[in-house]
Amino acid sequence: MNHGFRTLHPVVLLTYYLATTIAITINRHPFFLFFTVLVLILFNWVCDRGKTMKWWWRFFVLFGLLLFLLNPLLNHRGQHVLIYLFNQPITMEAVVQGAINALTFVALLLLFITFPRIIDSSKFLFLFSGVFPKWGLLAMLSVRFVPLFRIRLEEIIAVQRARGISLTTGTVRARLKNGFALVHSLLTWSLEDGIQTADSMAARGYGLKQRSRYNPYRLHPSDIFAIGTIAGLLALTIFGSWLGDGVLTMTPVIEPVYLTGREWTFFIIHTLLVGFPVIVEIKEEAQWFYWKQKN
Amino acid sequence: MVLLETKKLTFTYPDEPEPVLKELSFTVNQGELIVIAGPTGSGKSTLLRLFKQEIAPFGKMTGDILYEGTPLYSLDKEKAAREIGMIFQDPENQLVMDRVLNELAFGMENLGMDTVTMRKKVAELAHYFGIHSLLNKPIHELSGGQKQLVNLASILLMEPKILLLDEPTAQLDPVAAKDFLHMLDLINKEFGITIIMVEHHLDEILPICDRLLVLSDGKISFVGNPREVIESIWQREKEPFSHYLPQIPRLFLHFHGHETTPQVPLTVREGRDWIKKISVRPKEHEGEDTNKQMGPSLVEARNIVFQYEKEGERIFDHLDLVIREGEFLAIVGANGTGKSTLLKLLAGLETPQKGKILYRGRKLAQPQPQEIYYMPQNPKLLFTQDTVREALENNLRKEQNTGIVQRLQELIDFFRIKELLDRHPFDLSGGELQTVALLIVLSSEAKLLLLDEPTKGMDPVIKEKVGNLLKHLQKNGVTIIIATHDIEFAAAYSSRCAMLFHGAVTASGETSSFFKGNTFYTTAINRVTRNSHVPEVTTLEEAKRLWKVVETL
Repeated sequence: MNHGFRTLHPVVLLTYYLATTIAITINRHPFFLFFTVLVLILFNWVCDRGKTMKWWWRFFVLFGLLLFLLNPLLNHRGQHVLIYLFNQPITMEAVVQGAINALTFVALLLLFITFPRIIDSSKFLFLFSGVFPKWGLLAMLSVRFVPLFRIRLEEIIAVQRARGISLTTGTVRARLKNGFALVHSLLTWSLEDGIQTADSMAARGYGLKQRSRYNPYRLHPSDIFAIGTIAGLLALTIFGSWLGDGVLTMTPVIEPVYLTGREWTFFIIHTLLVGFPVIVEIKEEAQWFYWKQKN
Repeated sequence: MVLLETKKLTFTYPDEPEPVLKELSFTVNQGELIVIAGPTGSGKSTLLRLFKQEIAPFGKMTGDILYEGTPLYSLDKEKAAREIGMIFQDPENQLVMDRVLNELAFGMENLGMDTVTMRKKVAELAHYFGIHSLLNKPIHELSGGQKQLVNLASILLMEPKILLLDEPTAQLDPVAAKDFLHMLDLINKEFGITIIMVEHHLDEILPICDRLLVLSDGKISFVGNPREVIESIWQREKEPFSHYLPQIPRLFLHFHGHETTPQVPLTVREGRDWIKKISVRPKEHEGEDTNKQMGPSLVEARNIVFQYEKEGERIFDHLDLVIREGEFLAIVGANGTGKSTLLKLLAGLETPQKGKILYRGRKLAQPQPQEIYYMPQNPKLLFTQDTVREALENNLRKEQNTGIVQRLQELIDFFRIKELLDRHPFDLSGGELQTVALLIVLSSEAKLLLLDEPTKGMDPVIKEKVGNLLKHLQKNGVTIIIATHDIEFAAAYSSRCAMLFHGAVTASGETSSFFKGNTFYTTAINRVTRNSHVPEVTTLEEAKRLWKVVETL
């Protein structure tokens, strides 16, 4: 896709990711977070029709559930006891807290799986190579490695299975041993190839002097407007959180999950912030639609 | 004008008793295209890397390398990075960025060029290379040949004076390799960029190169105009080097012997001109073993329908193939026709959506590691150990057979890889790695070998050894199926060829008749001899068997 959110200036994109991360971590309210997750799923869908999400969803569900269940089992504070499990009280507060933890976790992951799709390597280098030249490149290489790792591991497993080295049959001990052997060879292989990449970079003069940029990334007025909008929404969200409207009160008494009065205002602000990319995309689609009708 | 010069260059790796390069002295003139050939381990890559100070290997170096008259290593770093470009063997690992455009700009950005200059250069170059449509593509969507072209373009944008290439076409299929070499020729001729290239496969490059330099044991064995070098190699009859000679000159030299001869033909056209001047009488057919009794069917693919993804392309559309016991089948076909996938299906690594794979008449449910041995295209996948020795021993332990220990020892001597035993598998060169991987396969008790591109990156000497060994195994009842791009190898050693196209086997037949029916997809020697007055042959061996040259005009 060569339009919409990802064509904005890299600084705008980075601001969005920072602002949304802050908003998700400070607004600890199940109602807020539930809709945040929904909006981010939509964002993922707009981004790549949910491809990356499809790959990750098992992991999300597994860890989400784990976080959701772990809190009530370990944390017994609170006044509303729901049931007793192994002589331990399971409290309403702990369950809600668990839900908040799980939703926060899933929301952050949903946000960050879009990151490589939106901020590609040249934008990444633009953002970070000025500040940390070495680290910027290192980070970028590691990002490139993630999909490579996945493809390679699948290949290794398939080939080694043909040689009788299996991860799914045999004793646990044997399986573990095989697993370590495979990961070991994956790492050596990738490091070896990484050296070749490093050679190719050195051969092309990387690190000799300050790099210039092929893509100049000029700030257009619309970019400045976008930064202003994101920053404004973030400021309002922080204010709301400070007022306590974005946080579910637990003590002394747990407040109802459903929103009341002023909380709705901050909920809308929060959702607008999280959904900023989706709004940009919708606006773009609408423009196309009208442009086509006119012509 | 001399651009690059080495004077008594000697180089020793740390902890190695013998130097890899011994007092090398030679010069490279401006605008030359030089090919360096030589057996694996002769120091070709080391020499090339010493010319590029950023990636020069560690070790002890004596003697001088002069670049434009000044010592190379005292050259300004920026000038060195700009003027000496290097392209490596693996197209994938050289790429840094995730989009073509960014990759092209990478080198220029490192040199701090300004945006306007860079844009102009990219525009010019994209026009020249015809890669407009690729510019915005993610790199991983490109084919191997396209990746290597992007690597070349990225270097050219830095305006080098000299290009160093380390077996740049070893990982490419023949069509992509030809395109790449054609591009190199253009660059050399139209821009006068000096090119030094290490290469094993000389058939395509010799007609366009100015000088051929043959290294062995760190010394220059031959250097000069390719035709002269070919003749002197033949005259000195140094066995190992004659394998390096391309097919057409070998055919010529074999039938011309040592008499004073006209110019050695290098291309098909020159070969056909020569053929016109000779007259050949077919020899009596000595009992050819082509009609050898074939065993019962060993593996059978019936009505295979396969695709990797639901929305993806259909790789096989009702494919049928029967492989009989004791066959040596070469699966050939263009890139992306599913050669590798077919091997994986036969090995039981993938399951078809429809149809079935039968092994000895029964459905292949679980892979049977004892009898079926699969070697992937990337041999690195086979190694989980830290040294070659461990990898081989680990394999032995599983087999538990004393006969194999003996056999393995023989194989190690046969391939002369004793000195590789204590190295890490990934430290080996492409060809060495392939050899060791094959060794693991060959030392096993397998009844069916499935080899994916077994000759990739191998030097001709080892390739011939591998070919003979496979033939030997075949005689002993082992069934062999290879997927290969290497037409010459398939023609010389396999007993049957099958061509994949459009999801099915479109043609298959006995190797010799298979290639004789083809116009484009056939060996160089066949192209020389087809539709001529001499008996049509596909390989030198066949010519030796069938031809008797009565007179030369």
